[in-house]
Amino acid sequence: MHGLPRHRHSIHCILPPYLARQIIQNGSPQQRARILRTLAIDNTFRAMRLMRSGMPRMARALIPGSMVVESQKQRTIYDMKNSEQFPGMVARIEGQGDTGDVAVNEAYTGLGATYDLYWEIFGRNSIDGNGMPLNAHVHYGTDYANAFWDGERMVFGDGDGEIFNRFTLAIDVIGHELAHGVTEYEGPLAYFLQAGALNESLSDVFGSLVKQRTLNQTAEQADWLIGAGLFTDEVEGKALRSMKEPGTAYDDDVLGKDPQPGHMRDFVRTWEDNGGVHINSGIPNRAFYLVATDLGGYAWERAGHIWYETLRDPRLKADSSFLSFARLTVIAAARLYGQGGEEEKAVRDAWNQVGVRISRAKAGEPIEAVGMPAEQQPVAH
Amino acid sequence: MRIELKREGGLAFFPGLSRPRGVDLGELPPDTAEAISRGVQEARFFEQPSTPGPASQRGADRTSYTVTIDDGGRRHSVQLVEPVEDPRLRALLELLKRAVKEHGGSAHAHQ
Repeated sequence: MHGLPRHRHSIHCILPPYLARQIIQNGSPQQRARILRTLAIDNTFRAMRLMRSGMPRMARALIPGSMVVESQKQRTIYDMKNSEQFPGMVARIEGQGDTGDVAVNEAYTGLGATYDLYWEIFGRNSIDGNGMPLNAHVHYGTDYANAFWDGERMVFGDGDGEIFNRFTLAIDVIGHELAHGVTEYEGPLAYFLQAGALNESLSDVFGSLVKQRTLNQTAEQADWLIGAGLFTDEVEGKALRSMKEPGTAYDDDVLGKDPQPGHMRDFVRTWEDNGGVHINSGIPNRAFYLVATDLGGYAWERAGHIWYETLRDPRLKADSSFLSFARLTVIAAARLYGQGGEEEKAVRDAWNQVGVRISRAKAGEPIEAVGMPAEQQPVAH
Repeated sequence: MRIELKREGGLAFFPGLSRPRGVDLGELPPDTAEAISRGVQEARFFEQPSTPGPASQRGADRTSYTVTIDDGGRRHSVQLVEPVEDPRLRALLELLKRAVKEHGGSAHAHQ
């Protein structure tokens, strides 16, 4: 029988359609999501076969489109070779193996883990939800001690070796930068004052979820630190921030003391740091930590879904305040898991514990923060 | 010529790193001082707007530097947001960062 291709295991071999339908009806949410994706892939292949079979255009139009597209993870890591002139040299592309450069490999793995969290847990296809290629630039500058999102790409420095190690070392920091991209595409949150602190907090939340999922940790097992390992041994500190205990991440002669508050009573009014975006993010960070530990289990499951749905809520505005965001999380918890359920209660309790009180009657009416820091007061009821 | 450098932003806010730092060119080794004088001229520092480059609204965690130079009665401040696109301004910033790190003191001492 020469000339015949050997049998390949295509995706439709995995499950007969009736079994897949049963899982959709009775399976766990994870099983359901997985099967829906498989069915979608199956449809795509079938449609492609029909297309090639010369079927008339009118008949083809009757075939329903796929519900979800296939994963489009498309990573490119560029080596800046210590320059600041973009784009640098391509060092590793999707599907390519280990290059022997630790920063390149960490960026590749970290982008992959972040893409997978968004795709496998939230059904989101990349930063823009539409398969946007993920570009990271490593070895940026000389002794460069930062990582940032420039609106299109993620950029990582090697650290100065005195205070900071290389910034690709912390997978939550990679997730943090990519999450800035998602927030930018998804919503209008300005990078200023309370909205900016929410923007920062969302990056910490999803960055931390990337790390927790990579380590397969439950909310109780996770350390809830951001950027653990970035400091050299010279520094008195364990990380850039602590979501669990804001203000306790470092206390060092050179860096100073971690300025993050974990409660509205300690809210910092400042014009520095875009109005304290990396400072006051401690408050919503701690709220997320409290929800996740109250609900227990994996934080990306319920707490993560509530936060992700809030980010996607069209009522989230450019100048949303903590209170406005908090109300939307309560609405999301009720919508996803039922009114008055333990999730809604956990969310309400968590915000209450950080000094953001959401009155029951007003939960559906988000309010916006006013521009001046002096007016960003906790609202008492 | 006196130079003050203030760092802001980045992936985290560190109170200890955000204090303004300053150096007098007279206190620097002659080579370094000369390189900075040349860098200030080449970058046309005193002719730069206070926020050069495209005012991008996008991005997050970028570091910004406010460079203030006092030179015989002239005083000018420029805010540079990374990545700095103008190669001459970028080169000047690198020189200043290094000089301040190696020789700089608290800016307040001279104010």
